[in-house]
Formats: sequence, C-alpha cells, structure tokens
Amino acid sequence: MRPILNILAIAAVWFAVTAEAAHTHARLILSASTARAGETVVAGIHLRMDPEWHTYWKNSGASGIPTTIEWELPEGVTAGDIQWPVPEKLPPNDLVTYIYENEVVLLVPLQLASNLPAGTIPITANVAWLECKEQCLPGDAQLQANLTLSESAATPSADAALISQWKDRLPLAGTNLNVQAHWEKPVSEKLRPVVIEWSFAESVSEADFYPYASDSMEVQGSVERIPAANGKVKIRKLIRKLEGDWPASVSGLLIHKTDEKRAGYDVTIPITATESTSGSGAVSSPSNSEASKPLWQILLFAFLGGMLLNIMPCVLPVIALKILGFVSEARSEPARVKKLGLIYGAGVLVSFIALAALAIGLKAGWGAQFGNPIFLVVLTVLVTLLALSLFGVFEINLGAKVMGSAGTLASMQGSSGAFFNGVLATVLATPCTAPFLGTALGFALTQPAPVVLLIFLTVGVGLAFPYVVLSFQPAWLRFIPKPGKWMERFKVAMGFPMLATAVWLFSLTQSHYGKRFWWLALFLVVVSLCAWIYGEFVQRAANRHAVGRAAAIIILLAGYGYILERELDWRHSTPEQRAIEQSSADGIAWEAWSPEAVTKAQEAGRPVLVDFTADWCLTCQANKKFALEVDSVRAKLQEMNVLSLLGDYTLLPKAMRTELNRYGRDGVPLVLIFPGKPGAPPEVLPETLTPGIVLGALERARQKNS
Amino acid sequence: MKRAIALFALLGMTTAAFAAAEIGKPAPDFEATDINGKTHKLSDYKGKIVVLESYNLDCPFCANHFKTGAMQELQKEVTSKGGIWLVVNSVNPRNSSYRSTEKARAEWETQKMNATAWLDDSSGKIGKQFNFKTTPQMVVIDAEGTVIYNGAIDDKKTPNHDPRTAKNYVKEVFGKLSAGEKVEPFETKPYGCGVKY
Repeated sequence: MRPILNILAIAAVWFAVTAEAAHTHARLILSASTARAGETVVAGIHLRMDPEWHTYWKNSGASGIPTTIEWELPEGVTAGDIQWPVPEKLPPNDLVTYIYENEVVLLVPLQLASNLPAGTIPITANVAWLECKEQCLPGDAQLQANLTLSESAATPSADAALISQWKDRLPLAGTNLNVQAHWEKPVSEKLRPVVIEWSFAESVSEADFYPYASDSMEVQGSVERIPAANGKVKIRKLIRKLEGDWPASVSGLLIHKTDEKRAGYDVTIPITATESTSGSGAVSSPSNSEASKPLWQILLFAFLGGMLLNIMPCVLPVIALKILGFVSEARSEPARVKKLGLIYGAGVLVSFIALAALAIGLKAGWGAQFGNPIFLVVLTVLVTLLALSLFGVFEINLGAKVMGSAGTLASMQGSSGAFFNGVLATVLATPCTAPFLGTALGFALTQPAPVVLLIFLTVGVGLAFPYVVLSFQPAWLRFIPKPGKWMERFKVAMGFPMLATAVWLFSLTQSHYGKRFWWLALFLVVVSLCAWIYGEFVQRAANRHAVGRAAAIIILLAGYGYILERELDWRHSTPEQRAIEQSSADGIAWEAWSPEAVTKAQEAGRPVLVDFTADWCLTCQANKKFALEVDSVRAKLQEMNVLSLLGDYTLLPKAMRTELNRYGRDGVPLVLIFPGKPGAPPEVLPETLTPGIVLGALERARQKNS
Repeated sequence: MKRAIALFALLGMTTAAFAAAEIGKPAPDFEATDINGKTHKLSDYKGKIVVLESYNLDCPFCANHFKTGAMQELQKEVTSKGGIWLVVNSVNPRNSSYRSTEKARAEWETQKMNATAWLDDSSGKIGKQFNFKTTPQMVVIDAEGTVIYNGAIDDKKTPNHDPRTAKNYVKEVFGKLSAGEKVEPFETKPYGCGVKY
C-alpha cells in the first residue's frame, strides 16, 4: 500500500523526521479492498521493528510511550479504539516495560455508514510511536490506503490473512476465569502486595498480570507465583499507589502460558480486604504434626540436632583440630583451655544470633547463604587458606604470637582464633541439616521472634556443648596419646578434608558463574602462592620482611583485579539454566517439580515423590545416593508408577521456598510422597532417610490410593 | 538478591546500602562530583529548595524540553530565585549515550543550561536513591530537606509538544514553595525513556 504520488510529495516535506526513525517501518493495511456501505472493515497499523528494537503497548510501563493513531477519514467512516495484541514484558524488574518486538499489527475497526456512495475513498492514519533499543527515537508516519465501496460482495484484501492472524493475538474476555484478588499487609506506606487467583483447567507454565495504565497507581512488573489448589492459578503482585487510597480494583490482562500458546485475558478485578472464605480456592495446609509439639520437645530436638552437627562431614575437621588443641595445653594450662572453650562457645552463639536475625528479619532460610555466589567465593578462598595453614605453608595467627618455625597448634589457640573457630564451625555446619534439626528449624519459622531466637540459640548451645564440656573435663581425653610428633602429622592430615571442603565449595560456584568459574580456581592458585611467599619470606624470614610482604600484596592485588574482577566478574553472577540431571541411565527418571505437575499426576491417579534438594545441601546428596537412588526404591517406584519430581533449591527460587514453608521446613532437604488421589495431602519424610523409610512411606501411599 | 545482600551486611562484609527516597520524608543525602570537578553534597543545600533533574539528552523526551528552551527557562527561574537545580546524568559508561566530562561540558554550553550543576551519576547511585525510572524525571526537595515531589516534569506525555502549554509540576511546586506556601507532598507517574543504568 504505497501512498499515491501527490501525497508522497507532501509527506516527504511533512514527515522528513521519519527518516530519523529508521528502525521501524509502518504501513496501513485493510482487511478488505472492496466493501459495502454499512459494513465494518478492520484497519491495521503494521509496525515492523529492526531486531531488538521495540515499540510500546497501551500501558508502556515504567518508561516509553504508547503508539498513537490519528485518523483522517471521509465523512461516513468512523474509527473505533485501537485493539492491542497481547504484549511482551521487558525486564529489568524494577523498570518493566510492556512492548512489541519484531512486528505488531494494531487493529482498528472502521465503521462504514450505510449511506456511503459507491467509489474509492482514501483512508489516512497519522501514526506516532517511540522506538527503543539502547536509545529511544520518536517516529511518525502518515499512512494511506484506499478502500473501494461497491454494491457487490466485499472482497478480502491481500492482507486479510495477516489481520486475522493478529486478531488471534488480541486479549480474550476474562469473564469465565472467576478472578479474585485480596490485599496483603502493606510493605510500606505506598507499597502493598495483592494476591490474584483465578480458575484455569490447563497447567500454566507462566502466569502474570499486565496492568492497564493508571495515574493513581502502578502495578509493579515483578511477579511471584504461589502454589494453588487444583485448577487454580495464583500470583502475587505489588501495587504502588501514587495518590489517594488503595485502589478498589485493578484492570489489565491476565497472562497465561500453556504448552500450546500464550494468551491474555481482559479483566477488571475487585480487590477485597482479606482472602475470600468461599473456600473453593483455599489450599488446605497439610496437618502439621510438628507444629503441635510442645516447645520443650522442640528445644530438645534443637539441642540434639546441634550436637549432631559436630559429626557432620563439613564440621568434623574443625572440631577435631580444636580438640587436639586441648591435648597440647590441657595438662599445662587448664585455666586457659577453659577460657578458650568458652570463647569458642561464644563464637558459635554469636553466629547463631546472626542466623536467627536473618531468619527473623529477612526470612532467609537455613543454609540459604550457600545460594549466594559472593559468599561462596569468599568462603572458598578462606577454606583454601585454612587448608594451606594446616599444611604449614603459612601461619594464621589471630591474636596469637607468631611462631618462629613450622606451625604448631598453639598459634591457632589465641582468643580471637577460638572465636573465629566458633564462627567457622557454624558457617560450615549450615549446609548440613542434622536429624532433629529440620523439625526444630521448621517449627521456628512459624513462631514469634523471641522463640525463633531461643530455638537458634539452643541449636548453637548443642553445637558448642561437646567441645565446651571437654574443655572443662580434659581428663576424658585420656585415650589420646601424649603430645608429640604425631600431632604435627595429624594437623597436616586434617588439611586434606579441609582441601576437599574447598573443592566442594568451589564446585558450587559453577551454578552461578557458568564456565567462568574456572577463573576462581586460578585465583586460588594465586592466593596459595601469596600465602607461601608470606609464610616463607615474611613469617619465617630473618630479615627483609617488607619485600616479601610487598610482593605478596602486589601479586594478590593483581590476581584479584585481573582474575576476580575482570575475568570472573565475581560480583555479577549469571545463573545458568539448570537442567534436571539423571543420575544414571537406569536411575530414577526425575522431572522438574512444579505444583501443577503434582496436581496433574494425582488427578491421573499416579502417586508422586518430590525431592527438594540443592547442590550445597550435603544431607540431600546423601539421601539421594543412599535412600532414593537404590535398587529397592527404584523398583518400587516403577512398580507403583510413581512420578518422581526434583525441586532444585540451589539458586533459592521463591516459589519453592513458599512450598517448603507449607510443610513446616525452612530449608532443604524435604522429601514428600503424595498418594495418587486428587488433592490428597502428602506424607512428609524425615530429614535423613534410609531406603526402609522411603519404602514404608510408598507402601502407605499405595494403601491410601486404593 | 536483596535478601542475600542484606545477609552479607550482617556477616560483616561491607556493601553499599542505599536508603531510597520517600515522598514526604527527609531526602537521603548524597555526595557527587559535577562535570567541573566540584563536589556537591545535598545536605549542604539545606535551607534552599533543591530540584533534581534526571537527564539524558539523547532521549527525545528530554530533548524536547531542551530544544524548545523550556527546560533552560525553568532552570533559570529556579536558580535566579535562590533555588538549586542539579542535573543528574545516570547513564552508565558503556551506553552510547554516556557523556565524558569534556562532552558534558560542551553539551552544557551548546544547550545553554542554567542549572546549578551537572552531576556525574554514572554509577546510578543517586538515580536509584531517588527511584529515577525515566528521563526526564523530576524531584523537588524543600528547604527543610523533605522530598515534596517526585515524578513527571509535566502532564503532556509526548516527545513533541510545546512544554510551555503543559502543566509543569516543578514550576507549580517550586512556585508555591518559594512563595512560602505549604505543598502537600505528592508524586506522579514519570514518563519518558528508561534511565540507562
């Protein structure tokens, strides 16, 4: 549809600016080339954008501007409102915009009056838009098309197919979705979460709400999916009000993505003050036997769990070394040993207070710090240094006097050394959930702050207890041989589990940095070199300490700048798309967890096993290897046609955390077994599993099934 | 990620945490260098009305206000009446709209700006402190340091209107404040291009 020549000449003068908007090509298309008076013809503004350039929806979002159309129409032709196809959402989350990429056809119905005479009429649209990629450019164009009015039947135009294709991408009516929304407590004076719930039979892989523009409020771009009952979809959005009261309703599009397609539903949703009690959509929380236990019992579990943390693989090397510390000093300086024991205990307790503060203030779950790449990098470096110091490459002397020759344990025994050991024991303990601990910590998260603190402190007391008791009763360590050369060897030997811990921590960074994570390994080599220079030419050298110190610092800084900052870019992680890995060809056929997958399988009569796990959770790995991926369990799963779902908590997805909390857990592991009956609640398995426990639970699920 | 960042603050590692500006509350303080190397601290301007302008001339919405001369007039109005006008450029250095100090000085001249200063905010710190989402976006802070206005520059959301015919919120708020009138703090939805953080 090229503009006719004389119009072209005028357009060239008028719209010289269109040349500037070089990244969008606009044209006017009509559904019919010939039409009869009294009919409606659909006009389309076809915008084609260069790759990565986009134009905006009717609510452009945080920035941008909607495309506008001004019509110049002969008498007897009236244009309706623009019908906008469902747009895309463009991150980042705090600056979300709603856009069209590649191409879009904005549809406008043109109503032809019944008394229009036959003949050809010009249709003119003045279109203005904003196109953006890194920069934004305004664009406009005067577009022309001709429509012939005749008595004979209407003939579709060459573009009719394109128009009907874009009609299919218009929002649908949302009247049958039974949408409800209710407020949650305001986060601040201006910011308040709203929960939107609607019915939808199919499983939905992506759900969102795109608001229409409003001057009095902004529905924020971020969205959180909440587990919902059968046939329901539930999301949480944040509303920021600009003026007046909290809005009584919101209008916009509910967005769905199913296997087949992505669709938008036009809705206006009244927001009620609280959740409606109709009950149809309410998710009944499974009866939580743990929550009903008395507090003293929970505290006992917390204490026992804390004590058991001492023998978890991640903590054992630290504790073993500490205990050796007694052997060398207990006989000569019992008072000092007692004092250091108490300081170690204080280090543990202070760390637990910090963890409790996190749990209370930030709702950060147990072990969640292992999902943070910066924490992982720092800890990997720290543990590597500890291993090197055990090997005697250099001394870590925290408040202790520097020893002249190869390290002795005494150098680790200063007050701040003892405190640091307490902190380290706690930090290394968090990836393990010992038996009993899950119950206690899960209970904690439903409780008021003082109780949470009490429970965490009790776990800390449990962790510190064996060590502190031994520091007061070193006589109990009589079975350990007299101090001697063997202690030096033992210390070096303990460097190896420490090194293994460093390797393990290092491996966790891969999920945050992808292939880049090898740079961290190189940095560890640089750190080791610096540690050696420091030990050999500063700590153990007779003179010229300054040169050694300077060399170590320069190499370290250069390594940091080049490797960590430049190559690894360690403060900016790029989480990889995590695929579900099968343990082996004949292993359990894991599929990715989603609330819908569970519902769907239950409806089909299939029992479901869900394993919530994380790379950094050692207890989870142990469960998987020794209680799930074993022949007896595999056979049973196959025989009962169980669907096995894996919930990967490594990168701490929010939806999963909500699910963990529903079952009274604050972190992984969590293993659930659902009977194959629609809506039936699952059996929650203990934290540490044996094949027997799993088989028993599967059998019970089978009985509930029938 | 916010949760994790807070976690580190607690674990004793230093992270820069910004308090975001809220309407009707004291503005968070900041310190920034202008294109002539001079340091400006918001708290030094207590006792004066301060206008912050989120700026990027490559954005057609900003360009419209400058090429019509309307922004310069408004800047003059504010600064000549004892107000402070800080142009805040939060474009990151990798973006093609980034301005080096030399280019910024040249742009200041060619645009005949009448602002107090052009602050280099290429780190985006000030922009994020004041929830700048678009260019232009305007903040007015009263003499006591309270954020009175945050939002659009005017009520015509196009890149090609004559700004003098629109209702300019900054003009309105500054006019009332400088006349000693009380203004109920308010905000509007800003419009324009996204800030290139």
